[in-house]
Amino acid sequence: MVAWIGSRTVPLSAAIEQVAKLLATSRCPVFSLDSDIHGCRSLIALAERVGATYDHVNGRDLVHEVALHTDIGGFFATATEVRRRADLIVVGGDLPTAHHDLLLSLAASKPDLSGGGRRRWFQINGKAASAGGGRPLRLPKAVEVGSPDYPVDAVLGILRASLAARKASAALANADAFLSAMAKARFPVFVCSHLTDVPSLAMLQGMLADINKTQRATALFLPADDDAWGMVLASTWMTGFPPRTGFSTGSPVYDPWLCDVDRMIAQKEADLHLWVSERDEAPPARRGGPPTIALVRGERPVAGAAATIRIGKAGLDHDGVVYASRIGTLRSVAATTPSDLPSVRTIVSHLQHALTGKDMPC
Amino acid sequence: MLIRLAGGEVVDPVNGLAGRRDVWIKDGVIVDKPVSKRADKTYDVSGCFVMAGAIDIHSHIGGGNVNTARLLLPEQHAAHLRRPLNTPLSNAGWSTFNTGCLYAKMGFTTVVEPAMSPSSALHTHMELADIPIIDKATLAILGNDDFLLSMIRDNASPAMIDDYVAWTVSSSRALGVKVINAGAAAAFKENVRRFSFDDVVPSYGVSSRTIVETLQASVGRLGVPHPLHVHANNLGIAGNATTAAETIRAADGRPLHLAHLQFYGYGTEGKRGFSSEAARLAELVNGNADVTIDVGQVMFGQTVTISSDVTRQYSGMRTANPKKSILIDGDGNGGGIVPYRYRPDYYGSLQWAVGLELFLLINDPWRVFFTTDHPNGAPFTAYPDLFELLMRRDARDAKMAELDQSALELTTLASISREYSLDEIAVMTRAAPAKLLGLDDRGHLGPGAIADIAVYRKGQDVRKMFADAALVFKNGDLVVEDGVVTHYRWGKTLRLNPPPDKGIVRRMQAYHEDRYGLSLDWFTFQETAISRENPFAEVACRS
Repeated sequence: MVAWIGSRTVPLSAAIEQVAKLLATSRCPVFSLDSDIHGCRSLIALAERVGATYDHVNGRDLVHEVALHTDIGGFFATATEVRRRADLIVVGGDLPTAHHDLLLSLAASKPDLSGGGRRRWFQINGKAASAGGGRPLRLPKAVEVGSPDYPVDAVLGILRASLAARKASAALANADAFLSAMAKARFPVFVCSHLTDVPSLAMLQGMLADINKTQRATALFLPADDDAWGMVLASTWMTGFPPRTGFSTGSPVYDPWLCDVDRMIAQKEADLHLWVSERDEAPPARRGGPPTIALVRGERPVAGAAATIRIGKAGLDHDGVVYASRIGTLRSVAATTPSDLPSVRTIVSHLQHALTGKDMPC
Repeated sequence: MLIRLAGGEVVDPVNGLAGRRDVWIKDGVIVDKPVSKRADKTYDVSGCFVMAGAIDIHSHIGGGNVNTARLLLPEQHAAHLRRPLNTPLSNAGWSTFNTGCLYAKMGFTTVVEPAMSPSSALHTHMELADIPIIDKATLAILGNDDFLLSMIRDNASPAMIDDYVAWTVSSSRALGVKVINAGAAAAFKENVRRFSFDDVVPSYGVSSRTIVETLQASVGRLGVPHPLHVHANNLGIAGNATTAAETIRAADGRPLHLAHLQFYGYGTEGKRGFSSEAARLAELVNGNADVTIDVGQVMFGQTVTISSDVTRQYSGMRTANPKKSILIDGDGNGGGIVPYRYRPDYYGSLQWAVGLELFLLINDPWRVFFTTDHPNGAPFTAYPDLFELLMRRDARDAKMAELDQSALELTTLASISREYSLDEIAVMTRAAPAKLLGLDDRGHLGPGAIADIAVYRKGQDVRKMFADAALVFKNGDLVVEDGVVTHYRWGKTLRLNPPPDKGIVRRMQAYHEDRYGLSLDWFTFQETAISRENPFAEVACRS
């Protein structure tokens, strides 16, 4: 059984019909998405068809990562290039747990380009950031630079001033060792993530701009969630915009505040919520919220949902395409335990048919 | 289904067809007039020109760098909405969906993305698969990648080089090979800021010239129809015409394509030390029959420069407008995204004039290609204006009157009276690109060609004529009527498929596992990953 209306088990076709009816009659539908590239492409096409606004299920983290690119820009490198070339790696603040393996694999390798040699590690030490989602990664070889008394952006500011031979307002532990290592490094790389707050990211990119005037340096940006970053890429090429985008006017409108799905639900602008999570995260319980349609991997209907449809996960139940930080681009993934669970794309294809009688464009 | 386009004025220089005649389409292909058969559908195209669908050989329409540009500049295409209408970048739309529609309505039916990083080929092809209507193709970038540079350094045999180039083209599903500022990106990672044709990449001891010559020879041996596509050194720098001239001379009687030559047409004369050398370059191109070029015309207004020439893009970051940019150190070339506004000041006026000089002083329309290097010189939506500038001297004169006269005085543009004929436009934008890319099935209206056809309403207003085609057919499907897309379909991505040598596959597997700690399948993909029916169409290599 793969579908429920309320808590009642129904054939998939009945659930599709019910969901299509809800989508067709909704005045202001909102989508929270978590799928592979093909799933996201199909859901964005569906959002266009029904005039919905969409965001990732973890849109709160994603909005900061998107802002790094839309507002700041700067210097970036792929993890593959970092692995082969970086002779100095500076970890700025906490990193998402999902990327600890990547960091450990970097720690276990040596650069082989630019003459190769050894790789030195520093870890920026500052007052703990408030954002959650990561845990400290202790790299045995890393030298801590900074001070627990200052936030990371202030530590970076002091280091930036010191690198530019300007007076710094405070002394930091191991600052001299850091400056000496930077002076000798040929390809230093600063590793950062959304857990590095926006002022810190801005300060870091300012520092990189300064350094690159005379020597090379860059940053390895690791998104909180690779699947979410994949959604950013698909949304950007399909609509011209990253998520928080909506089709309420018929054309895509990008507005991180206006199209904040959580805000739209909280302020009762939305009258229907489509929640899609291949990872089986349930939609947050909301009292008095709009009707919810849930596409989840779980075996039970989502409590309170108007309809629930089971879906498979790309790379597990079926083949898919995902963003992979390890290579800094999209990657094709094969099903490891193929199952009969339908892909998001398959379900959305049924919905498009039910809504329009035509195949979906993606 | 048998379709007849009746009474149009056919412009088909390949088949020597001109004047009023009917064109017949059957099952997506152009056919001779059938004997004693009536058309299922007839379109009266009297009062119209009928041409093959246009082909753009160099337009950055998809891939990681293009998408990063979209991400960096949401405000530049906020007018994805209906308003405002008159900002060129906004009109370009920037989504994959709009790209296909906007090209189609101008009568373009095939477009080449000229800078695909092989390591992110899947991303590029995913985007291209989401561009509707038109066919697409890519050129794979080589020449800054460790594997090739190491092979050249180690004196690998031509056969080994060929195996690697063939594997790259095949696995990335490309239609050809491009080299971008050969060796400079690798050198830039080692803090080399200027890199000329005879400079040497540190750690490899290999010069830019050697890289270009190695790839040029390999492309020739493999029978890749499109000659090596070269983005030369020193783009945008005063005096760089010398670099372009050296690169042309290095062609040495073998086919070579120089990309966006306008950006290399600069001398050092005048008070500002920035002048036009277009006439000298045009003369060189005219005298080297194996060299082809595309122009990369600059038009005025806001755009964004997208290039895997990271050395150039780093120096361009100073003049970013708006003041933000992205520079990526990636495998091989990486990329740089720098927004820029071309103003009708001294520099902008000179660049604009250099492009037109090249168009008008290169005699053979089979060897000069119509591009703005979208979006680097201008968005492709500026094409109708550019057609007008090429076909109407009065339009050029009127525009010149608005520009910086001290810049124009350092060019020959005012003295050039040439106006492109429609036949020459058909050669430059249809027949020649098809020939250059090895696409025998398009670029003309002869029997057997695929029915990619653009019908333009005749009129004095050249710009209007090319902006909104009266009818456009893609593979025989009517997709545009009066400048409006009326039918959506999915085109294919054209690719070569030289069989990869088993030995090189094993080497690539070992290389990726050893250097990246990842198996080769992280970097390659099956066609099914695109998730669209028959996303690719194969083009044969020449034997």
